[in-house]
Amino acid sequence: MKLELKDVRYVYAPGTPFEVEALRGVSLVVEPDEVLGIIGGTGSGKSTLAQHMNLLLTPAGGEVLVDGVDAISLEKSELRRRVGLVFQFPESALFAPTVEEDVAFAPRQLGLDEEEVKERVRESLRALGAEELAARSPFALSGGEKRRAAIAGVLAMKPEVLVLDEPTAGLDPATRQDLLALILGLREAGVSVVLVSHDLDEVAEVTDRVCILEEGRVRAVGTPAEVFYQDPTQAPATVRVTSLLKEAKPEIGDPVRFGETLDALRALQEV
Amino acid sequence: MTSRSLGQFYPVASPVHALDPRVKILATAVFVVGLFLIDSTVGLLFVAAALMALVAVSRIPAGTFLRLLRPVLFIVALTVLFQVLFSREGATLLEWGFFEVHSGGLRQGFFLALRILLLVSSAGLLTATTAPVALADGLEDLLAPLKRVRFPAHEVAMMMTIALRFIPTLGEEADKITKAQAARGADFSEGGPLRRARTLVPVLVPLTVGAFRRADELADAMESRGYRGGEGRTRYRELRFRKGDALALAVTVLVLLVGVLL
Repeated sequence: MKLELKDVRYVYAPGTPFEVEALRGVSLVVEPDEVLGIIGGTGSGKSTLAQHMNLLLTPAGGEVLVDGVDAISLEKSELRRRVGLVFQFPESALFAPTVEEDVAFAPRQLGLDEEEVKERVRESLRALGAEELAARSPFALSGGEKRRAAIAGVLAMKPEVLVLDEPTAGLDPATRQDLLALILGLREAGVSVVLVSHDLDEVAEVTDRVCILEEGRVRAVGTPAEVFYQDPTQAPATVRVTSLLKEAKPEIGDPVRFGETLDALRALQEV
Repeated sequence: MTSRSLGQFYPVASPVHALDPRVKILATAVFVVGLFLIDSTVGLLFVAAALMALVAVSRIPAGTFLRLLRPVLFIVALTVLFQVLFSREGATLLEWGFFEVHSGGLRQGFFLALRILLLVSSAGLLTATTAPVALADGLEDLLAPLKRVRFPAHEVAMMMTIALRFIPTLGEEADKITKAQAARGADFSEGGPLRRARTLVPVLVPLTVGAFRRADELADAMESRGYRGGEGRTRYRELRFRKGDALALAVTVLVLLVGVLL
């Protein structure tokens, strides 16, 4: 599925002293089967943008297109199933007595039969490596376990685009790695993923394209190599290192991912 | 939470904002008592004019201030309706079967509507021009004499400050959770009252859990910063009773006296 934002604008609290222009004309495409990273400082409009992707916020200007169709004309429930949105700190919305029931909430809202609901719950929990949490209370889990349960709750809708708003914030390294592996797995399965993040290193690791937001506008968009080598001061550690080496050894190329960078460094050594 | 409603602080610089909160609380109390002593429409209109002048001085845009009144319009309309329909005083203006509209009912309805609106406006002006913390400080000072009879003035003021402080926070949290559940297909607009009440469970449970967690964290944060009740506690902002405050209080009393006499 192709998700397109055209000149999207949004203003919080218009007409009051608290008015904030959060998006000032953002145009962006989420291509089918890609992982798109959205980065930018706090207040750059990342979360506001994420909430436009399933129309939890209605744009004050511009439009959102799903496979070329204006998203406003679509059934809301259908749109929210197709574009799954995981909020920042999604664990704050866990509510059911058990993890199993919490994850079952979304598929039940879709009106699926019990068999199918159970199957989806099992599948989503397995995808997040959280099967053993099924019968436990979501309030008795650790932070990382809660996060897994909450993300499983959105995954159970089988969205075609999954938008993750800072999914790894405050997580331990192991859970973080698992989540990044999940993102790549989803792309293999044909799901587009939008990853909103502050962590440039993880964005470099899993995304196909990166978009930098700044003060509600798109400052740059392109492959990680294009975007990060344009301004290596605002880039992941790998790019900061190679861009320094590049002055002496231009043949090192434009590696971004950790593995690529390591290979490039080895190649340099062998020469 | 982006919508503004009754009782929200409107942060601009104005002479009314700058008044001592104790004076504003007292003046509001005087005003409210005065409203119930005034028994003529002319008196109420005079007081209303004075209040409007005060709103102008407070630099709160008229439109914003009128919007503050929206939540009570229903009650006002109901009051007027009852007065007009059931009062049998004065000349008959309209007759339609069982219903009769009398001039006395109209007058009485207008009078009561004005009184309710003035009542709400005065309280609204107090909270719109006084920061919640200043309001609590002022209240604590005014309640201080009651400490002698073991009334926990400081604790009450602290609870009020905390409650006021957390209204927007909980509002934001509710908004966030509502959106998160909407993203999971929750529909808050469909079905009868029972179904709608049930759709609120996924919002209310996490909101309550979150509120308790916040309360715990806040208590810990207060303790770790050395909070141990009001005994011997000093203030960062000392309240000062200035000449302007005395003047404001005097003018308020005077305006209401004139209103009562009119």
